[in-house]
Amino acid sequence: MKEILFISGKGGTGKTSLTSSFIALADNCIACDYDVDASNLPILLKPNNIVGHDFSSGYSACIDEEICTSCGLCKEVCRFEAINEDYQIIPLHCEGCGFCARICPVEAIKMNPRPSGHWFRSEFKPGQFLFFADLRPGEENSGKLVAQVKTQARQKALTDNVSLIIADGPPGIGCAVISSMVETDLIVLVTEPSLSGFHDLKRVYALIQLRGIKSVLIINKWDLNPETSQTIEDWATAQGVCVAGKIPFSTTIADCIATARIPATQPQIRNFIFPVWENILQQL
Amino acid sequence: MQIAIASGKGGTGKTLLSTCIIKVLADKNAVLMDADVEEPNANLAFLQPISATTTVYRPVPQILPEYCTYCGLCAEICEFNALVVLADKVMVFPELCHSCGACSYLCPYAAIDEIEHPIGVIEETPLQTSGTLLTGRLNIGEAQSPPLIKAVKNEQLSAAIRLVDCPPGTTCPMIEAIRDSDYCLLVTEPTPFGTHDLELSLEAVKMLGMQGGLVINRWQGNDGELLDLSERWGFPILARIPFSAELARAYMQGLDPFAAMPALRGIISDILHRIKEVSA
Repeated sequence: MKEILFISGKGGTGKTSLTSSFIALADNCIACDYDVDASNLPILLKPNNIVGHDFSSGYSACIDEEICTSCGLCKEVCRFEAINEDYQIIPLHCEGCGFCARICPVEAIKMNPRPSGHWFRSEFKPGQFLFFADLRPGEENSGKLVAQVKTQARQKALTDNVSLIIADGPPGIGCAVISSMVETDLIVLVTEPSLSGFHDLKRVYALIQLRGIKSVLIINKWDLNPETSQTIEDWATAQGVCVAGKIPFSTTIADCIATARIPATQPQIRNFIFPVWENILQQL
Repeated sequence: MQIAIASGKGGTGKTLLSTCIIKVLADKNAVLMDADVEEPNANLAFLQPISATTTVYRPVPQILPEYCTYCGLCAEICEFNALVVLADKVMVFPELCHSCGACSYLCPYAAIDEIEHPIGVIEETPLQTSGTLLTGRLNIGEAQSPPLIKAVKNEQLSAAIRLVDCPPGTTCPMIEAIRDSDYCLLVTEPTPFGTHDLELSLEAVKMLGMQGGLVINRWQGNDGELLDLSERWGFPILARIPFSAELARAYMQGLDPFAAMPALRGIISDILHRIKEVSA
């Protein structure tokens, strides 16, 4: 079983448009959306038979006001400003470390499991599965939810004997991205030829280097800025990163996204995306 | 006054808007904080030299072997698995540590000190007539951005106008970035992705009880479902920035957006007027 992950550092470079297209071009695969903050792959893949599961991660403190003597010790030790003037927990700020509960002299504080989101298994084509999740606004531990989605997808791939997982990654270089890289065989970097696109690409590439994972590059909308596109290509060559393809700006792709359709379902898009997909598979 | 510029989806134009606002304000006492510390981009709109760089640290445990009895209590206390106690050794994983301080405080043998672990830097860039840009830049490999976001926002608290360029998403880094703001501008685009992610960010902003409004970027003559969302959540549409290939190209090349779209200056001024009206 192999896993291909699409990331970009910067948001809005076209990860989801491309990931969905490659999922459509693959003969058989398991699809994953690791952007648990704002999953967009389901909008294009329009899956059926969605089965949701609760996801709980960590704890949240709760002060019993009947027992609390307002001694102030909890408020003093809490480094997250999660306890207000009236000795109530502000759930959004509580990180669930449990320091307050351990130190409370009258045992007025309980740590309760914290429901923080859901993960879903769904079918986007008969017998082909999409795994995705949503973390509740304000929650942390996105990395743990990504790990949960990944574990479920990998188990399904093993039971169904599916040899390929294609995953749409989150933006940034933080915990969700680090978690989505675990056990990945190939990372496809999707960039755009802008100053910020290139800047963010270099940061996420440095993270990939730390993990020692093989990567290839796609320059999306390259013709909007051929000069920077060339700079990025030269950089990739110097790094030994294969440029799997350069995709021109296309109003057809924009129209597909505006109407929630997978770009590669359009024949003219398919024609220029298919060779890129073959290049990616060759690197796998 | 503190204004947060946020969006659920990445790449909708948060940084374009933040940097244009500080340019239009042209106020020496304004500060723009780039709180998208994983991928900070605001400095690319100015390309001005950095005048000072400060390292930001957070405390993580350090075991003092001469006092440690390997009792294992610290590992039991730690909810984040940042400590593993072996027969004759304690392993510390700073990247998992949330810096709560419980292990150090509660160790019965006072065998845990706290040391400073660097997580990133804050770069200060003077913008001449437009005030100051403060860029938070997370060290690569560091998983947790909120402590750095908090540090960036703790700078220049007395500035008359504080703008926060937020990270994408709706979870803890985004909340840390918008927290304590007087107003939240949510930037979106008229696509199914934009609409979907906007609704999630509206939920987050509403949860904090914060006032806010919407800016539709790459507008193509039609609000679509965004109008309905705006009404349902009580977040007015403050401005529509029309789609412009020229603006997109200028932004990509780091060129002046106002030269590419002269009307943009007026749009930004209107946004500021609207915010002042509502918060007055």
